[in-house]
Amino acid sequence: MGNVLVWVIWVAAALSCIGSGIAVISFTNPFYSALALIGNLASLAVLFLLASAEFVAAAQILVYAGAVMVMFLFVIAYLGGRADAPWAGGPRWLQIGAFVVGAAIMIEVIVALATKAGGGLSNGTEITRSFGSPAEIGRLFLTDHLLAFEITSIVLLIAAVGGVVLGMKTQAEGEAS
Amino acid sequence: MMGPGTTWYIAVAAVLFGIGTTGVILRRSPLIVLLSLEIMLNASNLALVGFSRQFASVDGQIFAICVMAVAAAEVVVGLGLIVAFTRRKMPLDVDTLTELRG
Amino acid sequence: MIVGAWLCLLAPLAGALLITLSGTHISRSAAAWVSTGSVFLGFAGAVVAFVQVAGESAADRSHLSTAYTWLGVGPFQVAMQILVDPVSLTMMLIITGVGGLIVWYSVGYMKGEDEERRYFAYMALFVFSMLMLVMGGNLLLLLVGWGLVGLASYLLIGFYHDRPEAIAAAKKAFLMNAIGDAAMALAFFLLIAKTGTLDFTASFNAASSGALSSSTVNLVALGLLVGAIAKSAQLPLHTWLPDAMEGPTPVSALIHAATMVTAGVYLIVRTHEIFQAAPNVQHLSAVIGGVTIIVAGVIALVQWDIKRVIAYSTMSQIGYMFLAAGVGAYGYAMFHLLTHAFFKALLFLAAGVIIHHLAGEQDMRKMGGLRKAMPYTHAVFLIGALALAGIPPLAGFWSKDGVISSALASGGALGYTLFALGLVGALLTGAYTFRLYYLVFRGEPSELVLEHADGHGHDGRGRAEGPLSMLIPVGVLAVLSAVAGLLVVPGLWEPFLHWIDGVAEPLVVATVLQDYVTSADAVLLTAAGLWIARGAFLAGREIVGDGRFRQALEHKLYFDELYDAVFSRPARIVAHLLRENVEEPVIQGSLGEIGAGVREVAARTARLQTGLLRSYALVITASVAVLVVVFMAVR
Repeated sequence: MGNVLVWVIWVAAALSCIGSGIAVISFTNPFYSALALIGNLASLAVLFLLASAEFVAAAQILVYAGAVMVMFLFVIAYLGGRADAPWAGGPRWLQIGAFVVGAAIMIEVIVALATKAGGGLSNGTEITRSFGSPAEIGRLFLTDHLLAFEITSIVLLIAAVGGVVLGMKTQAEGEAS
Repeated sequence: MMGPGTTWYIAVAAVLFGIGTTGVILRRSPLIVLLSLEIMLNASNLALVGFSRQFASVDGQIFAICVMAVAAAEVVVGLGLIVAFTRRKMPLDVDTLTELRG
Repeated sequence: MIVGAWLCLLAPLAGALLITLSGTHISRSAAAWVSTGSVFLGFAGAVVAFVQVAGESAADRSHLSTAYTWLGVGPFQVAMQILVDPVSLTMMLIITGVGGLIVWYSVGYMKGEDEERRYFAYMALFVFSMLMLVMGGNLLLLLVGWGLVGLASYLLIGFYHDRPEAIAAAKKAFLMNAIGDAAMALAFFLLIAKTGTLDFTASFNAASSGALSSSTVNLVALGLLVGAIAKSAQLPLHTWLPDAMEGPTPVSALIHAATMVTAGVYLIVRTHEIFQAAPNVQHLSAVIGGVTIIVAGVIALVQWDIKRVIAYSTMSQIGYMFLAAGVGAYGYAMFHLLTHAFFKALLFLAAGVIIHHLAGEQDMRKMGGLRKAMPYTHAVFLIGALALAGIPPLAGFWSKDGVISSALASGGALGYTLFALGLVGALLTGAYTFRLYYLVFRGEPSELVLEHADGHGHDGRGRAEGPLSMLIPVGVLAVLSAVAGLLVVPGLWEPFLHWIDGVAEPLVVATVLQDYVTSADAVLLTAAGLWIARGAFLAGREIVGDGRFRQALEHKLYFDELYDAVFSRPARIVAHLLRENVEEPVIQGSLGEIGAGVREVAARTARLQTGLLRSYALVITASVAVLVVVFMAVR
């Protein structure tokens, strides 16, 4: 019974992921696309939970969907939702090529999974209760992966500085206004 | 609890990645391009988490968190660029950025 | 002695280099004296070597001195070596002695010319080249000297490079010499192929001992003969010599009378063993000499340019030398070479004094009666003319008659024919020489002569006829022309012949009776020629009357027209055809095509750079997709 439930939730979350993904790329209005992306992130969080990655799921909701996407929405609101049809403009081969390439990558990976890696991926190793808990993540961040932790913080700092710089008014604009 | 095996997770990640790629190449508005880029990054996060579950190693999740942080930084810069475009009254259309034309 | 020989070779080279490298930093007269001094220094070296070698016994007189090994290709080695033996010493003394006198003469003759320094550098270069030719210790160095001499001749004939005739004459001389050079080179290739060496002794031994097949020896001798003919202006490669008179007169004296044109004779004497192994070729050289004597003598009878008469005379006299070498009388060939150098140089230089006095006029029709205006020149010229004609006791008599009597001594149909040709040649020589003398010096003074009769006091010290630097060498040569013949008095004493015999044994030796019979005949015929010339002059007419024969002679027997039609025109036509059908469409066209093609490809490739970001992204992702497939397939 528990297994069936897991499967049902899993399939529902997966379909919602894919559906919202398609929605992101096919809406005209960027506002709707951003909302679709929030849905995508939420579905992914469910999938993460089902994979026993609790902290990642939480971070996904709090940071990604909560902070990053909100920032996105701010900017979209500031810029105004310009209408832009998905298939407007650009050479024909480019539009067709986009679909072809996307499909190609999808199919290739699935084929690889089916033929080469199928056997080795079915049985998951036993995991403990604390697998994916914040305590575990935190411990690893501060011991084995300290360097990654520090570098990531520097990257965030640089991004913040970059954001400020990009947002500064230029001299010309300053004199004009 | 049993559920779908790692294969399914990777398959979903692949589909999401493909959708993201199509979006990056297909759309002209830089905002949508950025959003498609986010989809691709999330797809790779999903793959990482799936593999971490398979091999019972938390390293995958650590990696996924770092990817998330970097993605956030990238969004900051990307949106800053888009705002700069608007400031300079440039149309929000990647097809107009043709300085690389040879 | 070796030091003397090397000094002789290198002094003129040093002189030439010094003048060349100093450029305009030395004055003109300094260049002139450097050149003269270097040649005389060479003469001193040659005299030192001569004195020492003369003191040795006949068997020891050949010395080979090696400086270093120049070329080494496996077993084929060529060393930088010089050969000092009687033949080469004779040539060295002539070249530096007569050459020195002529360069000294040029100091006065070329004074005030536009590019004096260049002239003197070339003269020194020429002397060095000629010395290299005669002193070369192996056939390759001889060929080096041969080629350099051709170069120096080209440079000096074309010295007045503003005149198109001079440039054309220089090219003609060089081209005809090139034919000879090519023939000699082919002969040498054959020698290397068969004997593997170009040393004198090795090649001569191979030829004379029968180690080489007769066809090989004949071919080699033929190649050498063609080279000699080209360099010495014998038929049929003679047409360049009269045109070479475009050069300055001292050049004509040195190169085209005394030395370069005698290089062919030297070659035959030096390689006589090869010729003796190919008797047909040797007889051919005698026949060519004989025919040239007559043809040149006859053409000389209708020339109006004073230098051209002397040039044809040179051709004729070298014919005598070829005749002597052809019958094997090497001693007399060299003796005639020696005396000819003296009196021919004398005649050219005296003519140069006249030309200089008359401010460049060379046409004999404008001259006449110079005897009163230029008595010194008249005297020396007369000595030269008598020596050339062969009047005893002057030099030409002894040498020329020795040649003719050797022809008589060699006997057979060939010998007697050559004897007859030699005697007819004596008649012609007398005729054209004294035609020249009478037209220039006798009779009433012409207008031109009267114009210039008040003389030019060049530097206050020279006589009215010309500067001292021109008159003294002429005088020295006159004395030599008078007495040099006494080096060989047949039957009484023959030191010169013994000197040469040590190196080149003669094939024939005339008896004393043959000698005296020949001499008597020759003198009679010469006197007859003189009398004919005098008669024609006094009657105011030409020896050869107008008509078809005279016309043919005036066109030099149409040799130039023949060569033009057979070689020059077809070559030009072929060149024109090649240019139109091969050069322009194929070569130039293909270059244009390649350029256009590359541009085309570049234009097409440039279209990949669309500037469209999305297309770049597409290409990147497509590449990734392809790579994934590749990885999957490989793994």
